[in-house]
Amino acid sequence: MRSAAHTLTAQSSWFNEKVLLGLTPKTYVRSLLTPGNLVAGLILAIGIPVIVYRFVYGLGAATNLTQETPWGIWIGFDMLCGVALAAGGFTLASTVYIFGLKDYHAIVRPAILTAFLGYLFAVLGLLCDLGRPWNLPIPMIYSFGTTSVMFEVGWCVMLYTTVLFLEFSPAALEWLGIGEKLRQMLVKATIGLTVAAVLLSTLHQSSLGALFLLAPTKIHPLWYSPFIPVYFYISAIAAGLSMVIVESALSHRAFQERVDHHVDMAPLTVGLARAASVVLFSYCFLKLQGIADGGHWALLLTPMGYWYLFEVLGFAAVPSLLFAHGARTRNVRLVRWTAAWTVLGVIVNRLNVSVVAMNWDLVPHYVPSWMEVMTSITLVTMGVLIFRWIVNRMPILRELPQYRNAH
Amino acid sequence: MIPHDILTLYTAKAVEYIFALSFLFLFIPFWKYAMGEAHPALQPAMQPARQKIADRVPDLVEWFRLARDVAYHPGHAWARAAGDGRVTVGLDDFAQKLVGPMKAIELPPVGTRLAAGEPAWRLRVDGKAVDMISPVDGVVTEVNPAVLASTDVARHDPYGEGWLLKLDAPRFEANRRGLLTGKLARTWLEEATNALRLRMAPDLGLALQDGGMPVDGIAHALDEEHWDEVAREFLLS
Repeated sequence: MRSAAHTLTAQSSWFNEKVLLGLTPKTYVRSLLTPGNLVAGLILAIGIPVIVYRFVYGLGAATNLTQETPWGIWIGFDMLCGVALAAGGFTLASTVYIFGLKDYHAIVRPAILTAFLGYLFAVLGLLCDLGRPWNLPIPMIYSFGTTSVMFEVGWCVMLYTTVLFLEFSPAALEWLGIGEKLRQMLVKATIGLTVAAVLLSTLHQSSLGALFLLAPTKIHPLWYSPFIPVYFYISAIAAGLSMVIVESALSHRAFQERVDHHVDMAPLTVGLARAASVVLFSYCFLKLQGIADGGHWALLLTPMGYWYLFEVLGFAAVPSLLFAHGARTRNVRLVRWTAAWTVLGVIVNRLNVSVVAMNWDLVPHYVPSWMEVMTSITLVTMGVLIFRWIVNRMPILRELPQYRNAH
Repeated sequence: MIPHDILTLYTAKAVEYIFALSFLFLFIPFWKYAMGEAHPALQPAMQPARQKIADRVPDLVEWFRLARDVAYHPGHAWARAAGDGRVTVGLDDFAQKLVGPMKAIELPPVGTRLAAGEPAWRLRVDGKAVDMISPVDGVVTEVNPAVLASTDVARHDPYGEGWLLKLDAPRFEANRRGLLTGKLARTWLEEATNALRLRMAPDLGLALQDGGMPVDGIAHALDEEHWDEVAREFLLS
């Protein structure tokens, strides 16, 4: 009896330490009462019933999707943007583990966590979007549609989400203080996992663009190009780098007590800006090639053309120059704002391809329903909350002393 | 859509080649611009970590160790920026060899406001005390407990484990202009060594001028009676 009580106390102190951040349940709950959490709670209170409604009453009841426009913002925003912005995971991992730029080691874990959650919620968005989500295992297990781009995307995303989970799991094991052997095995597999990450990301980031190759007559000619897969891949790298800059700036502000103060973020931010500037510079020229290849110069002087020019010049050419200037003058503030602008630009690009330019001549044009928007907001909120929950507990922004230099 | 007849196809190809070539030509200056630095001399704290580690290994200037990753005050104190407005300070190898084995280093308590050029800490040797001056303006946020426990650490590793204080130094960028780094620091230390040489008398019994290593406590060797005044002269206090 006594030993049982002992075990119970030990268990509850373990729970307090690991889950409640060393607080008692009462103080922990009280610490959650902040304005930010209130807003998040409100979003979830509306959003979760909306998601339930969608699964109970179906796509027709919850969305404005039609036979002509079967893909809405759950694909355009949750899937395409989520995956593009998660590209920081493979970009940073290959920078550190393949190209050997060890200075960036301190920001690999947050980048991988961002990527993992990005993919997880992209998949959740996809589940909402699929008319019959319970059929998802079919192409995964026994009916391989090997000639379909969708099959390739599905498999790649599944495999890469698994790779991201494996890349992330050493942090979880260090937090729990268990499975040391498994942790060492995973750490040893880092290079293999990183190679797989680059391979799979290259395949499906471009394949997500290749999906739109199937609809040449539906997409506005300025956005339709045989180079769409290349555009998606290159812009995903810029998106991933920008997202890492934004995420690290926000994390270092929000989680000051969790951050490894030995790491000077300024030179890392500047280095990422240099890479992003060169990637965006190349991307702009590829976009020019697309217009030249299609011979669509005249279309640039139409309202859709102005919007296209705004996207390419405003969200790619200008950030490229601003990143270069910011890196050159080591203006970290400018770099961070430019990164935020670029993240917005990638979202605009993906929504342009999948929503604005898709069936651009169809009247009435698709506009998402409030439930679609609410679902997307809810998924993003859940992603942010889980990111915060993990960062507050696991060694993401700092290394535990006993594992220093161990990975 | 413009039809893809032969002529437009050739025009399109020509335009594409022009774009491809102009990309390659423009890429070179753009790369140089993006990878370049506007003011490299002003930003020593931004060097990559690998360079930082190399800089921690001190050079030897004559008989004294000179770390490359710190900025020196002419009073033989050094300062190293952490990049977040915090600065670590300590005494250099010259200072510790000049005064020799110390009984204690009296450090100001946390919260003390220090001004560049004003006395900051005190070296206690043989019942005498010599002040050293602060290289930067700032507020003490941390004192090195290892140095308080034993001064040996400041003697053996003056630029590393033997640091003295950590300061919150918002004016460091302004202070840095009055400090010596790189070649300037080398020349300055060489000159200080020469000044030391000039003070040496032939009957000193030290083999300094023949290139021998100086003993600990050079000031003692120079003037047993008034060694503290000699030390103050070199430490500018």
